[in-house]
Amino acid sequence: MQGEGLLAGLLGSLKPRRRRRQPTEELPLASRAVGYTVIAALLAASLPIILSYTLLVELSFSASFIATPFEKTSFTLENWRLFFQGRLAPTAAQIYTPSYIRRMILDTLIVALGVMGVVVASATPAAYAFSRMNFRGRGALMRFLILLHAFPGVALIIGVYAIYVYTYRRLALGLHAGEAALLAYAFLYVIVARASLEIPMSTWLMKGFFDRIPWEVEWAALIDGASRLRVFTRIMLPLVKPGLAALSIFSFMAGWEELIYVVVFLPSKAPTLASYIHSQLSGGAIETAYLPVVAAAAVVYLIPTILFFVFTQSLLVEAAEGAGVKA
Amino acid sequence: MPRPRLPAPALFLSLAAFLVLVFYIVPLILTLWASLTPVRNWNVAQLRQFVGAENYKRLFHLIRFDPDVSTVVKTTIVFVAGTLAVNVLGGLLLALAAFIIEERASLGFRLLWFLPRMTPVAVFGLLWYYFFYPQGTLNAILLRLHLISHPVNWGQDVLPWGPWSIIIFVNGLVGVSYGMIIFYSAFKAIPKDIYRAALVDGARLRDLVFRIMLPLTRWHLIFVTVWQLLSLLTTYAHLFVLVEWGVVEKWHGMTWALYVFETAFGSAVNDQALASAAATLLVVVGIGLGLLTLRLMGFERELGAVRGEL
Repeated sequence: MQGEGLLAGLLGSLKPRRRRRQPTEELPLASRAVGYTVIAALLAASLPIILSYTLLVELSFSASFIATPFEKTSFTLENWRLFFQGRLAPTAAQIYTPSYIRRMILDTLIVALGVMGVVVASATPAAYAFSRMNFRGRGALMRFLILLHAFPGVALIIGVYAIYVYTYRRLALGLHAGEAALLAYAFLYVIVARASLEIPMSTWLMKGFFDRIPWEVEWAALIDGASRLRVFTRIMLPLVKPGLAALSIFSFMAGWEELIYVVVFLPSKAPTLASYIHSQLSGGAIETAYLPVVAAAAVVYLIPTILFFVFTQSLLVEAAEGAGVKA
Repeated sequence: MPRPRLPAPALFLSLAAFLVLVFYIVPLILTLWASLTPVRNWNVAQLRQFVGAENYKRLFHLIRFDPDVSTVVKTTIVFVAGTLAVNVLGGLLLALAAFIIEERASLGFRLLWFLPRMTPVAVFGLLWYYFFYPQGTLNAILLRLHLISHPVNWGQDVLPWGPWSIIIFVNGLVGVSYGMIIFYSAFKAIPKDIYRAALVDGARLRDLVFRIMLPLTRWHLIFVTVWQLLSLLTTYAHLFVLVEWGVVEKWHGMTWALYVFETAFGSAVNDQALASAAATLLVVVGIGLGLLTLRLMGFERELGAVRGEL
């Protein structure tokens, strides 16, 4: 099918490329003057992005509220002290404690790592099967995965939540599950439900990596009598390490960023960084929110994104189309 | 070469298949079914009752007579059309610019424009909350420049284009990198010799763009347009925070996808039957539009032709 062609080609660009410094011959597509003009125009167009991120970081270190990055303000660590002391909303009636912060970061991390684990564990073997095995319905299934990826998520979440409500009530009323067990169930459910949304694209991404491993490597082992499973775990997995790394990073980020599922499924006593920021700003809470502290929380929340940028630059840009489609 | 028998693929596919079944197929059927039942307030026992097309009648009645719901329809059209234009044309411009300038600067800009996509929704929402709310950055700058005399609540008071511009702007920033990356890699994929030959023949930048780069990447343009159209119809996370945090007026910031979500999960409404009917409509419109666009643009033929060139 043709759709596969482009997608596989695009994902294919995510090869574990040795970045040798090869002298790339520059094509003088435009004169120097045009080049500089374009850079200036790009810089101007990028101003909103640059300004808004700068302002966020500046605000978290600022003693007073500032509306633009150029305003005079004095540097302070007070917001960060308040944040790590758990005084997240100094004027609100709700009392936060330092353990609340740890809890928030830990919960966010649990969801992110959980999503990562489920995605890697399910998409990798499936991708191997699509890459290396011939079975009936293979093409149809792969096309189906693309359709699923394009599917309206909002139509799914109603059904997903209905199943959750049903099973949760069975656990609570039928089986008399304790509070801790119910909370564990909520986490498990949000992780697996969110991870499932990543499976279609992740399978395609990993298939691209498997496709590039020469068949002979595997063939030799199969002829020597190794089973498919053994070949997969002992030979193929070590060969697709870069792919596993990329998939892990992308799925971790998907879980880390998640807002909707976390707000819908997790009870308010299990806050994540996303649901904390959301609770500070939504529905009139704004009156009591102290924005510089919220900004500090947002900067903490941004740390993985920034690490991600520092360490995986070119991988990131090349593999973008594999990361999933947001608007 | 020993061909594996059926059990092996089944083994490898089992976990993914199970998850797709439980979290895609079954919920989808449930949602479609729920649109034919009276289910409200997550009273799942009501899923056993059947009310026929009742919810669809209610929905169409609302679209016709409820000014809020018809605003949602208008917002959806403006949002999808506007953001699609930003994402496709903006992506094209960014890719062109990044392709023309030297590599180091280009990588920097591509990374910068990629940042919004990788930023958690809550943080990205917060950035634009600061920017657009009455005491925020935009008003501070406009006041300084004496363009306005007092702070304006752009998202709430300047109807309808205030909130519409904000949702297009915010989602455009997130979405534009998709086109940028695909177009950029497409430009890169055109053999260098073609550019060189044209340059030797005295072609100027304009000729390169309109005679070589755009014609050779037609198919990517189609791909991005269709894919973005579908994504924009279904996206709602950023809109959700903008509406919930009061950055934009509720109905002028709400597209059909968010309307579905709010109807199902908003504590004031909690009407899953109606939401499911609205969701089903979205599914139908989405699939129909996708297929129609593919047909209109001669997708299949394009595909066959360009693959050889790449």
